[in-house]
Amino acid sequence: MTAPNISSDLLGAIGGVPRPDVDVVVDARDVNKWFGRLHVLRDVSLQVKRQETVVIIGPSGSGKTTFIRCVNHLEKIQSGRIFVNGHLIGYREAGANKVVEDKERNIARQRMEIGMVFQRFNLFPHMTALENIIEAPIQVRGMGHDEAVTIGRALLERVGLAAKEKVYPNQLSGGQQQRIAIARALAMKPALMLFDEPTSALDPEMIGEVLEVMKELAREGMTMIVVSHEMGFAREVANRVVMMDDGVVVEEGTPDQVFSSPTQERTKTFLSKIL
Amino acid sequence: MARSIGMNGIRRVQLAGFLLLFALVASACASNKGSTYNFQWDITFRSIVSPNGSIINGLWLTIGISIISQLIGVVLGILAALAKMSRIWPFRIISNLYIWFFRGTPLIVQLVFFYYGPLLAHVVAWPSFSVGPFNFTDPAVIMGTVILGVNEGAYMAEIVRAGIMAVDPGQTEAAKSLGMPYRLTMTRIVLPQAARVIIPPLGNEFNNMIKNTSLLYVLAVFELFKTFQSYASTTLIYFEYMAACCFWYLVLTTIWGVVQGRIERRFSKGTGATSSGLSWRERLMSRGKPDEITVLGGH
Repeated sequence: MTAPNISSDLLGAIGGVPRPDVDVVVDARDVNKWFGRLHVLRDVSLQVKRQETVVIIGPSGSGKTTFIRCVNHLEKIQSGRIFVNGHLIGYREAGANKVVEDKERNIARQRMEIGMVFQRFNLFPHMTALENIIEAPIQVRGMGHDEAVTIGRALLERVGLAAKEKVYPNQLSGGQQQRIAIARALAMKPALMLFDEPTSALDPEMIGEVLEVMKELAREGMTMIVVSHEMGFAREVANRVVMMDDGVVVEEGTPDQVFSSPTQERTKTFLSKIL
Repeated sequence: MARSIGMNGIRRVQLAGFLLLFALVASACASNKGSTYNFQWDITFRSIVSPNGSIINGLWLTIGISIISQLIGVVLGILAALAKMSRIWPFRIISNLYIWFFRGTPLIVQLVFFYYGPLLAHVVAWPSFSVGPFNFTDPAVIMGTVILGVNEGAYMAEIVRAGIMAVDPGQTEAAKSLGMPYRLTMTRIVLPQAARVIIPPLGNEFNNMIKNTSLLYVLAVFELFKTFQSYASTTLIYFEYMAACCFWYLVLTTIWGVVQGRIERRFSKGTGATSSGLSWRERLMSRGKPDEITVLGGH
């Protein structure tokens, strides 16, 4: 598999870097979540600044995927607050330090600003590659069909799949599907991108092409939270690496700090197993 | 060609069954030495080759009622399925009661109950108005169609619900993460994918619907069966008329079988199961219900 020809301005395709009006794009404060009696997130606090790429690592079951699913309210939280662009996500204040779940319509509006890429791609199988990309801009943003197609085609070209415009997802490789899933999320011009183990379901030879797109995005200044086991990617691209275990943020720092001189025993143990 | 040999085998068994049935009927007739009954096959023949106006009318009425009832059923089925899966509990209760009642009581009882019940209790006077090209001026036709549709909705609700549940939850999550509200998520993403799962059993439901319209004879609706039945009961020539009646129902259900196969193949797009439906020839020869033999694309 040859490396795809990924051109150097992914964000150019959607008209430049979406600029959040605040410097801290994600601000999670003391987030707690239970699945039944299982306490999966324990007082998790995390800030992500504009144009920052944060990679969350940790053993499976550590709560890292659950955490980013909370950031766009695919999961409810039981206590704490998550702000994206200064807006409380999924809930609204109901006085006296109490919150209630927000209206579905408002949650949907907040999610427009938060792109998400899934482990299993989740492309819409009844739509072609291009239709997958233009669906939400047209239906949700109310963008005109022609404008959406122009943006969609540009994005397809930028992820190296211009020729696959009319192809259905089941005829594409995993790597190609994931690149289209990234393009689909970008078409909504999000201020933040969440990646939930985007390469875990891929054959080894396809991981590179997806990471390449993500690296390009990071270079162009997209704000990103990436849950990943790709330590090479984290070392190269991340501004900050966050180590989670057992629902707790164990350690965070620059890739160099976390990988080369971890301070916590659990980080050392984890790294020794995977590196 | 291994499959077609199997199909031929099944077909031979079917054929043998039919021959056996006819042999039994024939021998029963022959053994009844005292019988002076003369089969008037020309009546059957004429009813098939040159059906009179009443039969044609009954045929159209059956077709019209079937289509409209099924449409009502599909719409109600989708609504009831969504209500049953709703987060809002009153919706769930209403939906459950609806499904419970209409699946738990006989259709013929529902027809008599909801038509004659309010009518003879002088609670309502059923309206009479003309709708479309079909002979819908008779309140019994209108109400019969509605009751058939409402009954069908209860069955469709379970089919639609199964279809929705068969769609990967990741699809809903992807739609949500793109900012789609519930309504868009359902209409643009989930229901189109559920349709692939829903359509084979829907085809069976419509096949049943064509036959179930015959129950409207209790409301004195002159659809296909009531038309033949009135001829038969006034002339006491049952066998000949009912044979022709069967013929016309078979024409309708057979044509539908062909249409169903085409629709199923069209809806298999993007699933990988490029010919999810068997050809209509295979379908005619096979014994299995289409939803059992159809390969559905998974995720």
